[in-house]
Amino acid sequence: MSDLKIGVYICNCGTNIAKTVDCEAVIKAMQTLPGVAVAKSYKYMCSNPGQEMIAADIKTLGLNRVVVAACSPRMHEPTFRKALDSAGLNPYFLEMANIREQNSWVHEDGAACTHKAIDLTRGAVKRVAFHEALEKRSVPMSPSVLVLGGGVAGMTAALEIGDANQTVYLVEREDHLGGNVARIDLTAPHLDSARDLLLDRITRVTTHPKIKVLLKSELVEMSGYIGNFKTKIKTAGKELELELEVGALVVCTGYQEFDAKKIRNFGYGSLPDVITSFELETMIRAGKIVTKSGKTPRYVSLIHCVGSRSEEHHPYCSRVCCMTAIKYAHEVKSMIPDAYVSDLYIDMHAFGKGCEDFYKRGSELRTMFLMYKKNQPPVVRVADPKEKFGMLIALSEQLSGEDVEIPADLIVLMVGMEPRADSASVAHIVNISRDKDGWFIESHPKLDPVATTTDGIFIAGACQAPKDIPDSVAQARAASARIMAKIAQGKIWVDAVYAEVDPEYCSGCRMCNELCPYSAIEFDAAEKRSHVISAVCKACGACVAGCPSSAIKGRHFTDKQIFAQIEGVMA
Amino acid sequence: MSFEPKIVGILCNWCSYTGADLAGTSRTKYAPNIRVLRVMCSARVDPTFIFKALSEGADGVLICGCHPGDCHYVEGNYKAMRRFPLLKKMLADLGVEDQRVRLEWVSASEGQRFADVVNEMTEQVRKLGPSKIKPDLLADRRNRPAAAAAEVAHA
Repeated sequence: MSDLKIGVYICNCGTNIAKTVDCEAVIKAMQTLPGVAVAKSYKYMCSNPGQEMIAADIKTLGLNRVVVAACSPRMHEPTFRKALDSAGLNPYFLEMANIREQNSWVHEDGAACTHKAIDLTRGAVKRVAFHEALEKRSVPMSPSVLVLGGGVAGMTAALEIGDANQTVYLVEREDHLGGNVARIDLTAPHLDSARDLLLDRITRVTTHPKIKVLLKSELVEMSGYIGNFKTKIKTAGKELELELEVGALVVCTGYQEFDAKKIRNFGYGSLPDVITSFELETMIRAGKIVTKSGKTPRYVSLIHCVGSRSEEHHPYCSRVCCMTAIKYAHEVKSMIPDAYVSDLYIDMHAFGKGCEDFYKRGSELRTMFLMYKKNQPPVVRVADPKEKFGMLIALSEQLSGEDVEIPADLIVLMVGMEPRADSASVAHIVNISRDKDGWFIESHPKLDPVATTTDGIFIAGACQAPKDIPDSVAQARAASARIMAKIAQGKIWVDAVYAEVDPEYCSGCRMCNELCPYSAIEFDAAEKRSHVISAVCKACGACVAGCPSSAIKGRHFTDKQIFAQIEGVMA
Repeated sequence: MSFEPKIVGILCNWCSYTGADLAGTSRTKYAPNIRVLRVMCSARVDPTFIFKALSEGADGVLICGCHPGDCHYVEGNYKAMRRFPLLKKMLADLGVEDQRVRLEWVSASEGQRFADVVNEMTEQVRKLGPSKIKPDLLADRRNRPAAAAAEVAHA
């Protein structure tokens, strides 16, 4: 250990870290530690000059270990590993200390933050001393892709990959393609026909030589890893499950609409002329907007944020409903020119391209806009039979400050988007996470929006969060581009981190064989020893902790490394 | 000055460490007493890690993994869950109070929950006062450092 030369780099992250952490104090503390050859700080370690500083020090000072105290390793570990690699040092000789997400961003007391930064960085310095050079493994990348969900996002992804001449399996639960877009008439804000938009795509997908469409089918099982996933598809009415080997998956399972029955105020389910936006779409597609009794409504009301932006139901905005409501104002006015349209909203969200203009044109149709308060939804009641209208809507109107009642013959509830009821089981099968609302989580909200925490599994469309058609298409294309880049390389570099059995200590008890969730540990009956199939091992470490003989080493998470890190943070 | 406990956190990479990072990106404030180590899965948590932390002077150890049913490695958290009562029994025999060592489930979206768990645990351990195990173990280590360290490592 006498030849250790550790370089320690403290990132200021602009002021993100330096505002609360005294980086100079961290440098001073690190300089006293054995093996530390250099300790310095820099404004942005992840910038090119920051990375070049590390590479230059490796070369000129002969560093053989590097510690970067900066953001989360989940953010920039790959960046700094590359910096080591570029200077000819094995990338696994890096350790990061998370002094931003888990320190400067979560504590306010400067002294406590600096103390913690010193402890965490010391832990990394102690740990890195025990790091070993590891070689990455490469595995072949299967060029086939599975796309889950045949809505706009799924079809776009399938076409993009199919057009690049790679095999795509498009799996759809329903007996038809198109997803939720197949249920609507026109799209906002351009009032283009959804049917035209879909038909072209459906025709291309179903006739494409590289795309195999599997309707009434579900993904029931997935195993393996990026480049080499093994999947099982169950098709309704078929006994045998189809087994497909694919290199990557795009999950485009979309959304379902909020169940309006959950909000009592509107009387949905008991009042026949209170309908959801999708039910209005059905009427519009059939060419006639009528009440349950077959009359043409004179007063049509659109109520926004049904299930969205609510403390009781979903806290988030569903993004598409405001413009859809304006679209209905256009459609109702064009089908029933003398109708009075009222639009009951909380805030008008018209953020997309062309949307503000569309809102303006909606206002010019003499739509009556009434603002209600968040968490105080309007109340619907049946009108006196003597009246010329069927229902009354009471609300506390925010712009005038008055309590008002308005007449209505037909009330349209702008139901928000929510994760599909099966999103938990889909997430479980493909091994990805969901956020607090149930949407699938992306790898990074800004920098890696279509990848997930599982390599090779991508997400696109409304299964990630509520979004409109243009955003869904953009995500689907982004996911396809990511996959095509991997296919083009032909092989996948997988992490060099896996478990190893030391045959010297293995007693052949086979306890680890049972512990491994991937059946990656084989027993050699002749040798009476177990050994790990490294390509199948995913490095969870369950066998390492479970081995009664301490014969299994979890590479890059060895007992020695973890013990040293504990000593470091506690010193 | 009031007693400030030091707590070692051992978090699984996929759920809890990501959840702790989310607390950061959301700027959710919590007590600065925790020092986090990352492992790939809560199933990697060897009981010796906890003994090691306590012997190094930690006043508490917090282990966090994915919620049951959500493990990135299918069922690693169940393994952690099954091992934990055995560990707690050993700790009780050593005289370590129940609240000093905790196993909690924190998902990747539960930044707030991570902050709440850390705050709550910090408060509990602060009330318990400094860990009583460390003077004994440290004395033991002073007498025969190498042997004691090896004992802890292979316990």
